[in-house]
Amino acid sequence: MAKFMQQRGVKKLLKDRLAVVSMWVIGAYLLVALGVLVGNLFTEGGLKSETELRIGPDNVPGAWATQSAEARLRDATFYLDSIKKASRGSDPAAAYAALEWGSDRLPAWKPDRIESEIIEPADEISTALADHRELEGNVEALALLDRLEQVVRARIGASHDESGNAQRSAGQSFRMLLGTDRQGRSILVRAIYSTKVAVQIGVVSALISVLIGTILGAAAGYFGGVVDVIVVWLYSTFSSIPWIVLLMVLASAFRGGDWDGTLIPVYAAFCLSFWISPCRVVRGEVMKLKELEYVQAASAIGFGRARILFKHVIPNTAHLMFINFSLLFIGAIKAEVILSFLGLGVKNEPSWGVMINHAKAEVLNGFFWQIGTATVFMVILVLAFNTLSDALQDAFDPKHV
Amino acid sequence: MNSSHLTTRAAREGSAPGSGKPVLEVEHLSTCFKTDQGVVTAIDDVSFELYAGETLGIVGESGSGKTVTSKSIMRLLSEHLSFQKEGSVVRFEGKNLVTATEDEMRNVRGARIAMIFQEPMTSLNPVFTIGWQLDEALKYHTKLNRAERKQRAIEMLELVEMPNAKRRFDEYPHQLSGGMRQRVMIAMALCCEPDILIADEPTTALDVTIQAQILRLMDELKSKLNTAIMLITHDLGVVAQTCDRVLVMYAGRVVESAPIAQLFDAPRHPYTKALLSSIPKSGRREHGKRLPTIEGLVPSLFHLPPGCRFAARCAYRDAHCDAVEPELTDAGPRREVRCHYPLEAPEAN
Amino acid sequence: MWTFILRRLLYNVPVYLGILALLMGALRVNDPISGKLGKNPDPSDYLALEQRYGLDQPFAVQYVKLLGDVVTLDFTDVESWTNDGLFVGEMLAESIVPSLAITVPALCLTSVLAISIAIISAFFRGRPVDKTLMVLAVVGMSVSFLVYVIFGQYWFAYLLGRGSGLSYFAIGGYESGLANWPYYCLLPVLISTFVAMGYDTRFYRAVMVEESGRDYITTAKAKGATKTKIMFVHMLKNAMIPIITRIMTTLPFLVMGSLLLEVYFNIPGMGRVLYKAIQEQDFPVVQTFVAIFAALFILSNILTDVLYALVDPRVRLS
Ligand SMILES: Nc1ncnc2c1ncn2[C@@H]1O[C@H](COP(=O)(O)OP(=O)(O)OP(=O)(O)O)[C@@H](O)[C@H]1O
Ligand SMILES: [Mg+2]
Repeated sequence: MAKFMQQRGVKKLLKDRLAVVSMWVIGAYLLVALGVLVGNLFTEGGLKSETELRIGPDNVPGAWATQSAEARLRDATFYLDSIKKASRGSDPAAAYAALEWGSDRLPAWKPDRIESEIIEPADEISTALADHRELEGNVEALALLDRLEQVVRARIGASHDESGNAQRSAGQSFRMLLGTDRQGRSILVRAIYSTKVAVQIGVVSALISVLIGTILGAAAGYFGGVVDVIVVWLYSTFSSIPWIVLLMVLASAFRGGDWDGTLIPVYAAFCLSFWISPCRVVRGEVMKLKELEYVQAASAIGFGRARILFKHVIPNTAHLMFINFSLLFIGAIKAEVILSFLGLGVKNEPSWGVMINHAKAEVLNGFFWQIGTATVFMVILVLAFNTLSDALQDAFDPKHV
Repeated sequence: MNSSHLTTRAAREGSAPGSGKPVLEVEHLSTCFKTDQGVVTAIDDVSFELYAGETLGIVGESGSGKTVTSKSIMRLLSEHLSFQKEGSVVRFEGKNLVTATEDEMRNVRGARIAMIFQEPMTSLNPVFTIGWQLDEALKYHTKLNRAERKQRAIEMLELVEMPNAKRRFDEYPHQLSGGMRQRVMIAMALCCEPDILIADEPTTALDVTIQAQILRLMDELKSKLNTAIMLITHDLGVVAQTCDRVLVMYAGRVVESAPIAQLFDAPRHPYTKALLSSIPKSGRREHGKRLPTIEGLVPSLFHLPPGCRFAARCAYRDAHCDAVEPELTDAGPRREVRCHYPLEAPEAN
Repeated sequence: MWTFILRRLLYNVPVYLGILALLMGALRVNDPISGKLGKNPDPSDYLALEQRYGLDQPFAVQYVKLLGDVVTLDFTDVESWTNDGLFVGEMLAESIVPSLAITVPALCLTSVLAISIAIISAFFRGRPVDKTLMVLAVVGMSVSFLVYVIFGQYWFAYLLGRGSGLSYFAIGGYESGLANWPYYCLLPVLISTFVAMGYDTRFYRAVMVEESGRDYITTAKAKGATKTKIMFVHMLKNAMIPIITRIMTTLPFLVMGSLLLEVYFNIPGMGRVLYKAIQEQDFPVVQTFVAIFAALFILSNILTDVLYALVDPRVRLS
């Protein structure tokens, strides 16, 4: 009977177009996460180093945004300042060669030529520009700005022609696609890398929570008696502490130890507060299943109780496990953002929560690329899971409120 | 207000059961549901009339469309999950209820056509008192003031032989037994003196003695108020006992309609015959008997055969039955049957 | 009724005892005193502190002490480690009003709005209005709380009225007094309402839809009740049961939900006090505050059951 219901549920689910779309979306995210995970193993220094790379000035907007004159000046000045700083060292040639923003660099010129063709004219223009207070709408100043960019900005790229005009590489364009954060790091690369962190946190904590919850809930529902009393007491207890407090207490309890800086405190905190809802639901379902004929028949034949539990009862709660997994996955991703904001979440790695948290100050300056990117990445995944959860509930558990 | 009003209408209209103009005419009523697997036609081209003061029985196996028919008349089915096919007519006082506005329907529901439901246990609102729920109907359809309404409600409870009516007035549904709840439902249905009472298996959920009481009660009320009753039931015993005329439904179709005596003495549709022959002769007046089983299964509404819907289970079928669905045809005065080969007409007719 | 309340109380006693044990255990996973003194403390300092705060005593004694404090609601002898000379009792007294100033209005506003929208949605079930509202709810649910907070602050506190030199909402901070409330608290309340809206609306709509399929609704319709009467009288009173449960169970979580807002908007409420205590490893404050939150939670649970019994005659009389 329950098997039949489950088969019918799967059919219904596959007919639901929204559900199928969301499964594809989730699949795509999983692939990206897997790609990052594998890339992390097989590239030198890991893809993680890529997320820390400075690829240009701070808070460069995304590729298709028009920049204000101030921002253009700021960007040009950023490059010029770096070049001038290199020129002041004891070995300018080596310093110039070491200048690198992602795959962008200076042309391979002798220091003299850099001095005469970049630094000197640029300095001249800068001084001239300093006389102008207003840049926007000021024709003369804008012409100067254009020339400054010709001299500095246009010389920086992956490859250069004879006269030093640079060509940007495809990789660099990709990194720059959604702009840079406050430390000149690629927003897109960090957001993609964060997919891995999110999926990792979501899968690990939802999976463990669902397993713990299902096993405890099934045991409580099936054996009843003392087991039931203990499990019910356990989840009443855990659920009586607001989860955010539980998370904070647990996350801080793990602080400072060997696991500090890893994701383990986050996992532990999530699992300990998330197992409750699958446990409660499964317990209720198992209490119903216990009365069903085939379960009773199996016990009449003389199968061991544990065997019946694992062979006949738990498989029939599979749909509840899926629904709960999906809901907890969302819970974990959203909780991660809040923990990261409180400084208790992901460390040493970018995550959407870390990005949104970093973006606070940028927002006050009117720069929305980082918060926007992280939010869009997150919303699509969470929306897909929300839609899937609804569809799962419709298909398998239509009476659910 | 005293109980004399209960008799006045019967005196006023004073027509014999089943004579004169029908109070309700149902013509080509077809109701469809939108389901996950597509649209199904739950009742297909149902037509019949109902006369003042008569009891029309509707019988048929579970799923034959009895409840859908009655809810379609009252327009109680959800509007976004069901619809009536073009050409469906439910004529009541010259108006077609299928196309009536929601306001017009509200004035009909409860006041002119009332309904008693299959499930007395869940049909009352659990969080309001019996009195409140009776009062509600009176509030909508009468001009009585609060005190009068209360008096009338208690009278109605007494009329349906509710023990301790005054005290029950302030009780909640869960404090009442199933039989008492059904009485409340009847009191509620009758308190505005409707012209038509639709009773959807009013007794299936109750035990045999209560069932008999409720049926007797409805019968008495009918003669007092000259109400037309549509009695839906599984139970041929009940039909024999209370109905004037019977409509037999099968898989969403009317297959036979006939006055009670003729139907029992000489069924003309093989399905009716099978129904009747499977109850013991002595059990005809015995109540509490469910419809006995007939070999085979009712066809699913999703896979209806092209021919006669009963063909698969019929002892008299031939190739014609499988190919062409019979029409509902006249078979004597006030008699109709849907069969290519109706059984012998009785000599006496 | 009284025996009912008593039964619920008794049932929750072991639960609370469990919470306290769990909490105290979790807080001792990392030694609180080394947390305060750093990695390698001077042994004599260590012992002095341990004695001063009673952490040298057996677990059971500390347990009974904490339990006693909560039961008598007397925290005047629990000293904060990081706020010199402050006791938990005073911190609690100071922070409770700012917390309530956000929590209570937010809860009321959320419930009223969410229930109204749910009713509209259920009323127009399956129509474009309903579909649009539900899509908005799901999309709204999928955006992080933090994003709402950041943008709320940016638009309403930072940009709004900046051109004319006016400021309608504070970027942060708190001052007591009713007149100051809109300036400091309204924005956090609105944000918190907005965030909770998606979840609540969906839940309440599901409740209404479930109720709308019940037999007694058909009965009411057959009686000639109007659609509005059915919605607002028949359905709403029945729906009150799950609605009350929902509101009551979110109550203690709202205290915590406002934690983020309090931290972000610098409002000195209970959530922020707890947050700071965790940051600064102020062990006694953390322990006491969490114990109080759990107690509040359990009380609200019991209150839920009682209210439940008041609305539902079936529970009341059994
Ligand atoms: N809301 C609905 N959606 C889809 N199909 C429905 C719906 N309500 C009824 N049906 C279908 O319409 C058919 C007739 O149902 P109906 O309830 O009228 O049967 P019934 O004759 O009253 O049976 P019973 O004696 O069991 O009450 C059934 O096949 C049923 O599956
Ligand atoms: Mg029925």
